[in-house]
Amino acid sequence: MYDDENLAELQKLSNEYEPEVTGPLVGERQSSSAITTEYENADPVYRVKTAVLPTKYAYFRTCRGDGHCGWRAVAFTYFETLIRVADVNKFEDEEVRLASMHNLLNLKGFQPDIYMDWAEEAFDLLRKLGNSMSNMDGDAPDILLAAFNDVGISLAIMTYFKIIASAWMQSNPSHFEPFLHMPLKAYCSQNVEAANCEMDSIAVVALAEAIIKPVGFGIQVLYLDRSEGTEINDTYHVEPTALDGLPFQEPPTMRLLYRPGHFDILYKAEDFPPPIQHPVPAQPPLHVALAGYTDDFLPVSSNMSDVMTMIPGMYPTGLGQRWPEVSYDYHTSPTSQSQCTPVQTYASAPTPAVSVASSHQEYATSVHGSHSSHHHAPSQHTIHLEPAVTLPIHPPPRPPPLTIERAQPMSVERSGPFRSSLYELEPGYGNAPLQTMPFQTSIFRNSHYNTAHFLNPDFQPEEWSPDSEYTHNRGRDKSASQ
Amino acid sequence: MALSTGRSNGGGATVAQRLQKELMDMMTHPTEGITAFPDDENMTKWTATIEGPDDTPYAKLTFKLSMEFASTYPYTAPTVMFKTPIYHPNVDFSGRICLDILKDKWSAIYNINAVLLSLQSLLGEPNNASPLNGEAADLWEKDFPEFQRKVTARHKAPEELDAGDI
Repeated sequence: MYDDENLAELQKLSNEYEPEVTGPLVGERQSSSAITTEYENADPVYRVKTAVLPTKYAYFRTCRGDGHCGWRAVAFTYFETLIRVADVNKFEDEEVRLASMHNLLNLKGFQPDIYMDWAEEAFDLLRKLGNSMSNMDGDAPDILLAAFNDVGISLAIMTYFKIIASAWMQSNPSHFEPFLHMPLKAYCSQNVEAANCEMDSIAVVALAEAIIKPVGFGIQVLYLDRSEGTEINDTYHVEPTALDGLPFQEPPTMRLLYRPGHFDILYKAEDFPPPIQHPVPAQPPLHVALAGYTDDFLPVSSNMSDVMTMIPGMYPTGLGQRWPEVSYDYHTSPTSQSQCTPVQTYASAPTPAVSVASSHQEYATSVHGSHSSHHHAPSQHTIHLEPAVTLPIHPPPRPPPLTIERAQPMSVERSGPFRSSLYELEPGYGNAPLQTMPFQTSIFRNSHYNTAHFLNPDFQPEEWSPDSEYTHNRGRDKSASQ
Repeated sequence: MALSTGRSNGGGATVAQRLQKELMDMMTHPTEGITAFPDDENMTKWTATIEGPDDTPYAKLTFKLSMEFASTYPYTAPTVMFKTPIYHPNVDFSGRICLDILKDKWSAIYNINAVLLSLQSLLGEPNNASPLNGEAADLWEKDFPEFQRKVTARHKAPEELDAGDI
């Protein structure tokens, strides 16, 4: 079809082809369903993976694919995460910390009169953002976006990050040399310091060690390609450690989306809105986020995982997706031990009545399910939870009134696997005054002053009794189907 | 993509500011065997000289170069050409230079001084694996006296250059 000359011509055109780079250097944050749309007509693997993407990572932000995108994505998210953390002092701290790394730069032969231009740009931006944050004027995100869409400023800051990464690698050769196919010094000058080099995975590690972890952030690189699987791959994920060497709980995490040859920025839904706009004390958001979670079936919210990760054996990823099956599994095991006949029907087949049951109930059982899988004696830790207040007021045969049902999402979720049904106490109710004080309110149940709360220093889990639970559940089912 | 804004109004340092700083630095800390000075006020074009290193065929010879800085400097390499005719494996007959740091390995951490020092060392250590002047690369390997003769024959002192085509 083509003669050699034509082929040579085509090859030449192909070699010289450079995709036109358009768009802003860093784009506005947008819904990640745009990625799903982008791959609508693509390979099935991509379609499957991008269809799931928005449920886990709600937003993304584009970076212009001009060969600097990786560096740009890291530098941008570094500043953006500082804004998200909303600790005004952190901006000053970071300036001091970065400046303290200049010794390292000098030691590795970088000249101050050259790199100070870049450092000043980074410090400038830190100060502007810090000022905006302390004035609470809400301009910080716009300042950041404008700065990174200025070619000069963004190149200066990226170059500053590059030389810090390079100096870091050269100062810690043993961490990097084994992964290189050339001398470290040459690698740094070609793949890190060079004005036009794409950020590779080794550079990500260097940036994570030198800049990202010390500020207390984690970084995650998510890889979207045609490899097998139904989700994008979590190829690189580091979390910071505190001075005592222990990992932080739920550190703010920078997330990059990598598609071969290109980096963009990803966010989880809970990364926004930034805390500064909704300053809330530690406890209240717990209720709000959790109620939202159960109702909307959203992926794990940060507030919930804060609490859940403190519970031994709990890990947030298990919660969002698996609960329906787990809850059924769970029900079958206790029933086998149970002597109650009604229980059999309830558990052996997930009848419509069960699935109709309110979402909080299902959620509660799921909590137990994932929990029990880590414990030898699951039946001791269960929940079928009814606010304590119902016990004295409403004896089991009577379905609890609707108002109490409504109150449940909070108490159920907060209490977690440690809160069991109080009906177990029925036979000898008066003999166990410790856990079932009749004056309990649902608010008290949720507070750490309650000995059944896992934060209470005298924590004493309530125990589960299948008999009372299923008696109670029948009541609940009735009320739920009303 | 010009780096337009000046630091005064909050943008990046301009090319002129950076070059001004480099000029100051080179004047206060001169490097032996190297000079560089801007051609005019806007600083984007410079003329530089390097002396051939001792113990090389270029010893005692002085070479004039032109340097041109784009508005994206230092994030893109300057365009550097030999103005003095030179017989060298990595320089062609119109003075174009093949040196990695002036191409894909350019880094913003290099400055004029670093470029000129690299070019000076290139004189004594040509990269014969990717020559622009194949004959020169060949002679360097096989017939060094002939190489030396051609270097001397091709060279013109800066004064001769000025008297000639400029």
